[in-house]
Amino acid sequence: MAVEKTSTWRTIALYVGLTLAAVVVLFPFFWMVVTAFKQPGTAFSPEIFPSAPTLDNFKRVLGDFGFGRYFVNSVIVATTAAAFATLFASLAGYVFAKKQFFMRDRLFGFLLLSLMIPGMMYVVPQFAIITKLGWMNTYKAMIIPHLANVFGLFLMRQYMMTIPSELIEAAEIDGASERQVFTTVMVPLSIPIIATLFLLTFQFHWNNFLWQLIVTNVERLYTVPVGLAMFKSAHEELYTLKMAGSCISILPIAVLFFFAQRYFIEGMTMGAVKE
Amino acid sequence: MTNHGTGGDGARAGRTWSLTKHARDNLTAYTFLAPFLIIFLVFLVYPVVYSLYLAMHQVPADSFDVFGGLRFVGFANFMKLFTDVKFWWSVAMTLYYAALIIPAGIAASLILALLLNNRLKAVAIYRSAFFLPYVLDMLVVGIVWTLIYSPHVGILVRIFESVGISAFTEKGFLGMPGSAMPSVVFANVLKGAGFGMILYLSAIQNISPSLYEAAAIDGATSWQRFTRITLPLVKPITFFMVIIGTIAALNAFVEVYAMTSGGPNVDVGGRALGATWVTGYYVFDAFYNQWRLGYASAMSYILLALTVIVSLVNRKFLGADNT
Repeated sequence: MAVEKTSTWRTIALYVGLTLAAVVVLFPFFWMVVTAFKQPGTAFSPEIFPSAPTLDNFKRVLGDFGFGRYFVNSVIVATTAAAFATLFASLAGYVFAKKQFFMRDRLFGFLLLSLMIPGMMYVVPQFAIITKLGWMNTYKAMIIPHLANVFGLFLMRQYMMTIPSELIEAAEIDGASERQVFTTVMVPLSIPIIATLFLLTFQFHWNNFLWQLIVTNVERLYTVPVGLAMFKSAHEELYTLKMAGSCISILPIAVLFFFAQRYFIEGMTMGAVKE
Repeated sequence: MTNHGTGGDGARAGRTWSLTKHARDNLTAYTFLAPFLIIFLVFLVYPVVYSLYLAMHQVPADSFDVFGGLRFVGFANFMKLFTDVKFWWSVAMTLYYAALIIPAGIAASLILALLLNNRLKAVAIYRSAFFLPYVLDMLVVGIVWTLIYSPHVGILVRIFESVGISAFTEKGFLGMPGSAMPSVVFANVLKGAGFGMILYLSAIQNISPSLYEAAAIDGATSWQRFTRITLPLVKPITFFMVIIGTIAALNAFVEVYAMTSGGPNVDVGGRALGATWVTGYYVFDAFYNQWRLGYASAMSYILLALTVIVSLVNRKFLGADNT
């Protein structure tokens, strides 16, 4: 409904509506931050802004409860996984977009079919494989099983198909090897989608709580969400600390979203719009 | 990169050494594909097969060698599932979850999209605000909501009391069988609405303004314009929302883990069953808490079957709709 003549009253009503909606949608995060700054033991005080705000909760969570360590683990796992998942998806996306090869279309259909499989289905057998490989309680167990990102491959292929093949042919005539074509033609021209996929896979791994819970049972390898879940069951009542841990857990993604929201929104909705 | 004509040279050159080029292309293609394909085969294809193998085995409870002591039991796990009240209850709860989250998610997404579909200065800021929760961690969101939903002193209980409703004070929103599932769904809808909002917004903005102008000339009210023009034209998005809502219900786990652990219990014919005991959570519970790997695998196969059915129904409807 494109608005032709927007009356003042209508504008006011819309702003009120938008603001109300924002308050409702963001309230949990607001409450989380507020509670994290409350004095320990006063998590349930109804004051909207703490009268005596404190950083104690953050200090204790990061120091005494090991969230500093968990944070480092999360950064290691999410960064490594995002880098390799993006690399593998761009290598594969390139050949699906630009090469003719044996079984190409069938293989692509088969890959897409796997998107249908419910995630819960993988939990037990993947755990079994990790156990058999002797990878329990290692970074590689947290990272490697999720490096084949089919949705990411799909995004890459769609994007790379729009790059003119003439550019590749020109580079080949100039004597570029296959690897050079990829690194000097495809990668520079695909930076927006590479950035998008890196952010999306980083976000996925940062939030991938269930898998990391399953393959780690030593505290030194916990990621932030796993640490938070363990903390939740061990100290049910320490809500100010739990909220401080929660803040730490979502901060990196919130910051990334703040600076790169266009990539997040486009990347996440691209597959759906293509339907 | 210099431009070598229109690509005709390349095509002709290709034909002259086509055989070797063909073989070489295949080799290059599969070299580039190798890292992705190896991971895909080992960690995404093989597990589906191995899961079926596990579903036909039982892990003895006292086995120290996790997967060495597997005992073949054939279809026993599946047979047991069919007589497991807890399992059928979980399927019912999954359907209940879907029945709540699909309409609520669609309504919330549509409302946000309609609000944003106006030429206002701050629209971009609101759009970001609505989308932000979608990228954040469900576990954290769930934990924060357990605080908000807390009994006696939780903020929501206090707000309800201030308007004279004290029904939730004693046990909190997540502690009562009647309100537990709607509360889990509510938290999830607020987190996810930004995604549907973007889809609806782009669909609405693709509708030609002339349709609304013509309707306005014919004297249609804005409600009529919404129900007769907007709704029918965003139907593909609505359909998509139904599908992803169903898939989300079949996969629901983290929100339940974070907020209710499947509870609170309801007495159904003398049996204690969890009011938020969805199938995804049962799979986790059978695996992680009870160490019944075969049983959990069998259950995940039923989840797969349900997902395939949903997708087939979807394809049938979508096909009928678009062609």
